[in-house]
Amino acid sequence: MGQTTEDGFLQLEGVTKRYGDFEAVRSLNLLVGKGELVAFLGPSGCGKTTTLRMIAGLATPTAGRILVGGRDVTVLPVHQRDMGLVFQSYALFPHMTVERNVAFGLETRKLPRDEIRQRVGRALAMVRLGHLAGRRPRELSGGQQQRVALARALVIEPSILLLDEPLSNLDAKLRDEMRGQIRQIQQELGITTVFVTHDQVEALSMCDRIVVMRGGRVEQVGSPFEIYERPANQFVASFVGRINRLSGSRTGDGAIAVRGQRILGSPEIAAGEVDVMVRPHRIRIEWNGTGRVHQDGTNAVLGRLVRTTFVGDVVQFHIAVGEDELLVEQPTTGRPDLPEPGTPACLNWRIEDTLVFPKEQAR
Amino acid sequence: MEESRASLPMRILVAVLFLFLLAPVLLVFPVSFSGDEVLSFPPDSWSLRWYENLLGHDRMLAAFGTSLLLGVVVTALSLAIAIPAAYAIVRLRVRGSEFLFNLFTAPLLLPTIVLGLAILIVFASAGLLATMQGLVAAHLVVTLPYALRILAVSLSNMDLACEEAAATLGGTPFTVFRRVTLPMMRPGIVAATALCFLVSFDEVVITLFLTGPRISTLPVELFHHVENRADPLVASVSVLLILLTLAVVLIVDRSVGLSRTFVK
Amino acid sequence: MTAAALSAPGRTRPGGRRAGLAVALLLPIALVNAVAFLAPVLNLARMSFNEALPGGGIGDAFTFENWIGLLRDPFYVELIVNSIGINLFITLLTLVLSYPIALYLHRTTGRWRSFLTVLVISPLLTSAVVRTYGWIAILSDSGPVAQAIAALGFVPPRLMFNTTGVVIGLTEILMPYMILSLLAGFGRLDPRVEEAARTLGATPFVTFRRVVLPLTLPGIALGCLLCFVLAISSFITPRLMGGGRVFLLATEIYDQAIVTLNWPLAATLSMLVLLIFGAALAAYSRVLKAVE
Repeated sequence: MGQTTEDGFLQLEGVTKRYGDFEAVRSLNLLVGKGELVAFLGPSGCGKTTTLRMIAGLATPTAGRILVGGRDVTVLPVHQRDMGLVFQSYALFPHMTVERNVAFGLETRKLPRDEIRQRVGRALAMVRLGHLAGRRPRELSGGQQQRVALARALVIEPSILLLDEPLSNLDAKLRDEMRGQIRQIQQELGITTVFVTHDQVEALSMCDRIVVMRGGRVEQVGSPFEIYERPANQFVASFVGRINRLSGSRTGDGAIAVRGQRILGSPEIAAGEVDVMVRPHRIRIEWNGTGRVHQDGTNAVLGRLVRTTFVGDVVQFHIAVGEDELLVEQPTTGRPDLPEPGTPACLNWRIEDTLVFPKEQAR
Repeated sequence: MEESRASLPMRILVAVLFLFLLAPVLLVFPVSFSGDEVLSFPPDSWSLRWYENLLGHDRMLAAFGTSLLLGVVVTALSLAIAIPAAYAIVRLRVRGSEFLFNLFTAPLLLPTIVLGLAILIVFASAGLLATMQGLVAAHLVVTLPYALRILAVSLSNMDLACEEAAATLGGTPFTVFRRVTLPMMRPGIVAATALCFLVSFDEVVITLFLTGPRISTLPVELFHHVENRADPLVASVSVLLILLTLAVVLIVDRSVGLSRTFVK
Repeated sequence: MTAAALSAPGRTRPGGRRAGLAVALLLPIALVNAVAFLAPVLNLARMSFNEALPGGGIGDAFTFENWIGLLRDPFYVELIVNSIGINLFITLLTLVLSYPIALYLHRTTGRWRSFLTVLVISPLLTSAVVRTYGWIAILSDSGPVAQAIAALGFVPPRLMFNTTGVVIGLTEILMPYMILSLLAGFGRLDPRVEEAARTLGATPFVTFRRVVLPLTLPGIALGCLLCFVLAISSFITPRLMGGGRVFLLATEIYDQAIVTLNWPLAATLSMLVLLIFGAALAAYSRVLKAVE
């Protein structure tokens, strides 16, 4: 139909939610394209669930508008919004069978019984639970309940699918499985989906775009790649993936002084105190290196090994640089000999991998 | 957890105390089979004469019928009134909900002798003495707090998410109430039904103030009977009352599990 | 265009409509409460200040005569003192008899405990008349107790139609309430605390006195309050076991209301009962605060 991401199937304009003096969500703006899978990612209390509930209609914004397909739904009652919501606790009706649970949304729409039966059958088949149609929720495992909840939300063919931390109650293995399944179903149906999570792995692996939130505000919106490689600030950088942080200050000539050593970083940052951040696995170590010989396009910093942690897949070196400590991760090589604590180390990393942010004002 | 076995003297003491606790209720059974004219234990003879007497005792039977009818009406009304009230207090949570809840459960705090007198005085001038309507109203005063309490607990223990889910699936507030909230309240409703019926059926003091020769309930008739003469007839009625209560309790336990409904 | 007013978390209905719905849902219960509870009770309070006219009528004037007359009449003073005294004694007796059962129940586990708990609760589901009648059967002169004592060669004492009968009957009737209150208050009692005391050299008796008893004080206080309040307001048992010869507040209220038709006096006595309630509650709060 020619709808692009810019057209915004789901639009949030200045959406704010205040409880007394407390601002749970501050003036949130977002455009979600049709068929997009967007994640709200952030620590607990950041406002992501509140925002989801406002989209669903379970909470009313204090200010701002919510539009779906151009239509203002801000004050539209919940039951008229045509959205499917999968709750964190699944919220299956305990007194109904799986089949009746899934059929509920179709029954409220007063569809003919035959059609209901057909669609329920298809929905259950899609999540591979057709054989459990006659069971009650309490007889199902957590993973099965979650799939029923998904089927129940999808069978009504909603305009938007909303998921509130759908995988957090599952064990790790099941979570991996379900991640792939949900993504697959979502793409097959082409349904616009918003989901809320505090797990960055989920967000990174499943979504088209991520909205990183903190304290009710949006910190950054972008693709997984952008969020990871070009974080907008220290919070996003450290929330998604592991990262090191060094204190530094701008020197006059566009470089940064870090613990008495000189490195290069992004030139757009103004003068003053900065945080320099580098990912642990982007750093190469040269044991007993002096830093005098290093390639162009890399930063070199000298430090001393404090301790080593062997974690199976990777080995972690904790290197002291002045008063800061950097973590360097390398895949294990099978060689048993590791350097002794106290060994001098020269750390190398590409200048493009250097993230520089002005020191944060206290929020 | 290590189970500490109580000492033998302790167990004997507890057994004796339990006997003391259950003595009157237990004793009523053998007495009901007494063949004597007057109350004595152990009876000099055994027979079913007092049960037969009961079947022909018009006053008692009429009172029993009144108690039954009253119990059913009061229970039905209690539910019809308390369910919406519980919903308003727990789900709608308007300002002053807690105050209202305390106000509506306050009748439980007042001694029935005081309540009975208070209601007597007001009903006398309203011409409601010795009427079915008056009895229903008076019984409602004591059953509603129980019903409200149980139903409010049942509602507040319920996962709100299910109702929200039903709403997102297109259920209007009334549909959600009818198809999700009410069914999920079933244990509480069953418990409230049983309790309201039993409370109404056993209610004696307030009812004493409001009954007369025209209309009477079984506990009141029993009371007058014992006041005038104590004979084994009361025992046979008592046995039937105990069995009736047991039946109600068993039904509740079978359908919803007793402890779950009373523990918050 | 901007959103509706603030609503409580989780609801979307605008405030005005929700308030309207709430009013509609609460109307029936409010009506019953107002007509059959509030109005009568307030009226009763007012009636204690009404003049009692000779011949059973009620004057409209506001007077303290009922109260003053009550406190000046030695019969009533004795009645009040008796009521409080006897019921305090009953409460204490109930406590002593219930404590072992509650303690035993608290320490038992599993199905045996559920069964015993049901046994404790079951008398509560039978009418007070039935239970009192059971006591009449037991304590009457031709009852098993009297016969047993006679068989031992002693003259059986009068256990019915006097204060003794009332005390015995009421104590037993109140025991389930006391047991349940004690159990509720036993929450803080952990067997490991008792074990600790024992390992420190305390005898079972000392352990009881210095560890178990203080920890269970809140439960004791609650049970005593509940039972005292129930005892003072009890009518059926004192009336039937006392045979009209035991005079307590509750029986007097009934007599004045139904027999003598002196409603203002009955109302005054009722208010007195409520005042005694208030005093008991205050004492309970004081004890609770001292324990914390």
